[in-house]
Amino acid sequence: MTPDLAQLGAEHEALIQFLYLAPVGLVQADIHGEVAMMNPVAAQLLMPLSRNGGLDNLFVALEGVAPELRSVVAGHAEPSGRVCDGLHVYLNAGQGAKRVPQILALTLLKLDPERVMAVISDITEQVRRERRLRQNDAWLNAILAGVKDYALVSLDLQGRVCDWNPSIERVTGFGQDLLGQPYTVFYPLDAMTPEHRQDRLREADANGWSLDEGRRLRADGSLYWGSSLIAPLPDRDPLPGDDAGPAYCLILRDIGDQHGLPERGHDDAILDHLTGLANRRALFEAAGRELGRSSVAPRPTALLMIDADHFKSINDRHGHPGGDIVLRHLAGLLGENFREVDVVARIGGEEFAVLLPSTDLARALAVAERLRASVAAHPATVDGQPVAYTVSTGIAIAPDGEGGIDRLLARADAALYAAKRAGRNRVDHWRAGMDTHSAHQQEDADAAA
Amino acid sequence: MTDTPIAFDAPDLADRLAQCTPEQLDTLGFGVIGFGADTHVTLYNAFESQAAGLSPQRVLGQPLFTNVAPCMNNFMVAQRFEDAQEENSVLDATIDYVLTLRMRPVKVALRLLANPDAATRYVLVQRQPR
Repeated sequence: MTPDLAQLGAEHEALIQFLYLAPVGLVQADIHGEVAMMNPVAAQLLMPLSRNGGLDNLFVALEGVAPELRSVVAGHAEPSGRVCDGLHVYLNAGQGAKRVPQILALTLLKLDPERVMAVISDITEQVRRERRLRQNDAWLNAILAGVKDYALVSLDLQGRVCDWNPSIERVTGFGQDLLGQPYTVFYPLDAMTPEHRQDRLREADANGWSLDEGRRLRADGSLYWGSSLIAPLPDRDPLPGDDAGPAYCLILRDIGDQHGLPERGHDDAILDHLTGLANRRALFEAAGRELGRSSVAPRPTALLMIDADHFKSINDRHGHPGGDIVLRHLAGLLGENFREVDVVARIGGEEFAVLLPSTDLARALAVAERLRASVAAHPATVDGQPVAYTVSTGIAIAPDGEGGIDRLLARADAALYAAKRAGRNRVDHWRAGMDTHSAHQQEDADAAA
Repeated sequence: MTDTPIAFDAPDLADRLAQCTPEQLDTLGFGVIGFGADTHVTLYNAFESQAAGLSPQRVLGQPLFTNVAPCMNNFMVAQRFEDAQEENSVLDATIDYVLTLRMRPVKVALRLLANPDAATRYVLVQRQPR
């Protein structure tokens, strides 16, 4: 062998080895996918996908995971150019084995009308790393400055707890038993309907976050005043083999007990001064939110309008201070008879309204009747003397949030009017054709009579 | 060592290869890659060298699954050696595979041999009739 030939041979060998060792898969094929050349990493990545034990054809090898390739190449009109660039191909060659790639990146270059070249690499770890980084970023962004004490909880797409940071124990007293529980375990019993649980996730999806503040439950049953922020995590579509992955972060924050638990007396703007119940404004805001959600995720919403019967004569007999005592007494009974999730409000002198999310007519009638019986059986005490009184209740239902709070109030009012006319101390509900007389007209007429 | 040629599918192949000199391995009609527990290549016969286009000095002493035959670095080949080592078990399996000899995909049969009592493991390569 001449020195020139020997050198050529050595260079050829070095080139071959260069291709053997290149840490990406390289394939050259004809336009129909018939493989002309490929390097070892291409075989390493494609062999587990091969269904016929061979690698004669690139499109056949990738058929099970990227069936569109053949037609994409065929449909590429230009004589040359990039057909796809870093296409993520998700594999399911799982088998629980180690070193099984799950995501390949595929770049296809059309060399000329007859040939294509493919670059294939295993990007499983890279994708995982990037996801983790992005999720960490989202975490950090979600943690606002100045928070005293908080707990971070990861939720899956259904709002079930899948992970948490150690401060959860300090803030809520919950621990290992959280796994797989809906995040409503942090709320008092009855404070969240299943629909609400989904609403908050949907709102987080739509707005980027969902924040609410209110009573929260510790593991030992005690209550605290807390806020919860739910934010969607980016890239939360499950990776192959990783189904129940985190999809939202929930930040629970203990705002402290200085907010007047359990009276909720922390905000005059939304509370009725006399009774500590929600005021008219708070009811309207809550109803607006709830009816808005009902139009997205249809479910019935009930409104009860409750009026103390013959209240004017109570005032006449016992004076205004006595009347106030009766109103507070009634407020107490209202608080006992409704769920945490229901919004109990004083909307007028002796007039109360209760918004019941996810409640149909049958349930609303049952609850209203229970309240009626409870009031009738428990007189208030004024100056040491029992003062018996009764309530009348009108019920209206919004099947899917349509018509808004105004129509709901008008209908409940009409039903209340009917209950008054029928003799008081009773419950009625709105029906089509019912008068839209105000119950107050009846009460006023009675007072004048 | 007798003059009978050693067959790719001989039941006692590992024992017979262990008795061969490098020169005798070079006369075989299939590829022989021998490697130790650390996967570094210790044997690389002429048939394999010729098929792959690599001279033994470029290969001997290199880690097999990363620097010599990355195409086998998956659960079909490399992991079976790892599993056998972990479980201290005998591996003797023949599988159909595709090697990229000089960048041409070539259908081969691979015979994978490992024995906890032997220092050398083997990947043996026989070309399939096309």
